[in-house]
Amino acid sequence: MTKTDILEKLGTMLEADQINTDPEDLYDASADRYKKYAKAKKVLDNPIPAAIVYPKDTEEVKELLMFCNENGINVIPRSGKTSTEGGLENWKELALVIDGKNLNKIINIDTYNMQATVQSGVALQHLEDELRKIGYTTGHSPQSKPVAQYGGLVATRSIGQFSTLYGGIEDMVVGLECVFPDGHVCRIKNVPRRAAGPDIRHIAIGNEGTLCYITEVTVKIFKYFPENNLFYGYLVKDVATGIKVLREVFVNGYRPSVARVYSEEDARQHFYHFHEGKCVLIFMAEGAKPIADACGKGIEEAVEKFSDGIIKKVDSALIEDWFNHLNWSQKDIDDEVQEMINNDRHSGYTTEISASWELIPQIYDNVINRIRKEFKQADDLVMLGGHSSHSYLNGTNMYFVYQYNINCEPEDEFRMYHHPLQTIIVEETLKLGGSMCHHHGVGKYRNQWIKEEHGSAYYMLEKLKETFDPNKVMNFGSIFYEEEGAKFQK
Amino acid sequence: MKIVCLLKFTPDVDAFEYDYENNVLIRENIKQIINLDDACALGYALNLKKKHPEIEIEVVTMGPLSVKGLMEDVLRRRVDRGTILSDPVFAGSDTLATSLILGEYLKRTEYDVILTGTQTLDGDTAHVPSQLAGYLGIGQMSAIMKIDEASFLEGAPLVEVDTENHTDTYKIAFPAILSVRRESRYRLPFVRYADLEMDVSDRLHIIDNSVLQVDENIIGTHGSATKVVKTYMQTYERKDRVVVQNDDEGIETVYNFLKENGYLK
Repeated sequence: MTKTDILEKLGTMLEADQINTDPEDLYDASADRYKKYAKAKKVLDNPIPAAIVYPKDTEEVKELLMFCNENGINVIPRSGKTSTEGGLENWKELALVIDGKNLNKIINIDTYNMQATVQSGVALQHLEDELRKIGYTTGHSPQSKPVAQYGGLVATRSIGQFSTLYGGIEDMVVGLECVFPDGHVCRIKNVPRRAAGPDIRHIAIGNEGTLCYITEVTVKIFKYFPENNLFYGYLVKDVATGIKVLREVFVNGYRPSVARVYSEEDARQHFYHFHEGKCVLIFMAEGAKPIADACGKGIEEAVEKFSDGIIKKVDSALIEDWFNHLNWSQKDIDDEVQEMINNDRHSGYTTEISASWELIPQIYDNVINRIRKEFKQADDLVMLGGHSSHSYLNGTNMYFVYQYNINCEPEDEFRMYHHPLQTIIVEETLKLGGSMCHHHGVGKYRNQWIKEEHGSAYYMLEKLKETFDPNKVMNFGSIFYEEEGAKFQK
Repeated sequence: MKIVCLLKFTPDVDAFEYDYENNVLIRENIKQIINLDDACALGYALNLKKKHPEIEIEVVTMGPLSVKGLMEDVLRRRVDRGTILSDPVFAGSDTLATSLILGEYLKRTEYDVILTGTQTLDGDTAHVPSQLAGYLGIGQMSAIMKIDEASFLEGAPLVEVDTENHTDTYKIAFPAILSVRRESRYRLPFVRYADLEMDVSDRLHIIDNSVLQVDENIIGTHGSATKVVKTYMQTYERKDRVVVQNDDEGIETVYNFLKENGYLK
């Protein structure tokens, strides 16, 4: 089979306006933001997909997947295009990008049963806007909210900025529809809970397009009480103190929607107007007034308990204002691309991990120390720090953030900077028993540690791949390590 | 065609931090870099070689042996030969003595053209290229902003030269020394990831005065005619940081600042 053969066959399956072979768009589709600098500089060497196709319904998705499965064509499921970990990168000569942009209908908003059903190409912002009109919210607010779509959000196990109250996407999805490469369409019904064997939602949630294509999602919705929001901000002496306060709040059963602690370096770039060179701890309490007030009281008590490490309280209006300007839009993405083209620099990268309360401060220190000692381009780092932004009863995440001056050719940038830094973060996390991916997904650049991540439980993951995608046509190289793809990584 | 590129390794003066309390530069941990004008000259040569691989490039520098690592990185950019002129008796040479030392080496070397920078970050006199040209008896042109490739390959390039008020175009025949300015923006390629650990020892040559046989009475600290009478440190005033809000008052402050400083008319 050749690319020409693929295009001929696609012409018999879809309308002409559902098949995109524009060279610029195909180049763009060959990689994602993991290689954003090389991509902006037009030096990517990834194979170019044969086409981007836009199915209009589940039946067309099914036909496309079966065609690819029978002919060994790599399928890259795409929806929103905000991937940061190589999940949308192509490693195969014959590949087809199946984009969900035509699966864009809000099917139902059910305020009595508190759930909404959408096709996978519905933008999160679109559903949020519709819900806000009637006093509800999705509760999901990743920074990519203005751009992200539900298919991508569910496929990558995304999380939002209010996760500590509303949960991650896995806590919100009550049912879904997905299509497997053999053409089988699965519909998981929408019920409040089930005990009918393992929870099979989780085969699709987080599969990163390696097992199936998600076509429809039903999520929980929540009542929205913005008038009750309470904001808290503190300068604290170190990250460890901030983590202790976060823990105190959560183990006492409080659920603020936002609970974060920033290192000095990361605080400098987020809170330039009040950080004073210190770590920053912030909270937001929301919900029905008695709940928000009680949560606020719990936060104040936790802060009081660790007052030795609290330097000062920050005006809550500053925290509220900061939150209102946190999301990045398509314009922000486009501006960064132009900055890379014009000025040979970008806004940096992040790598997110998670671990228990006890381990997180150790991992943070180990990572920072090792980068300072071992990273060969350490002189080029202009920012290295992190923040904890998603907490749980038993632990929290750490979002390592790094920026650097780029002193290399664009083709080498990820190998000289981002990947070595990410390697140190992943290795130090796994060494102490944390998880190497908190919410971005594995993609194609953390797959080399996937067996170490899961240990003996990798058996279950491997069997899912063998069963649902025996021909390995679904997003080749994502999650599952493939020797053939190593040339793109090393 | 063989191109010789003359490079100088200088402190990265842009990376100096300033101690406002004591009015001194903080020199600790300052890296050595390729002088910016010289980097553009080498960038021009390497980009030409990329299109015409038969072009041979030799990089020549004078300095202490501590520049060896920097020179190795130069060679990893696919330079054919690197030569360090290094001898304790060279230390402290003024621009004339430096020109004599470089000239003695270049008299022994075959080349079609010499590319270098116009000025250095740490000296700024722009003496060496013209003195060297005089010593070698060849033509020289400073402040070059653009070199026409086609005529360069024919041995008599058209060069655009920046004067204070306008740009002139000259034609200069090889052999010659062409001194470019950093504003030419000829970009020096980085060492490629795959070449970072490349062994370049067989292409690196160190030449001392036992080879060049320059009269020690006319080089080095004692042989240099230039005497520094006085040095002084430029002082800077700390600029206070102003943080404004995204409101009418903040916008007005930024607008007035831009206007007062000539960014807005």
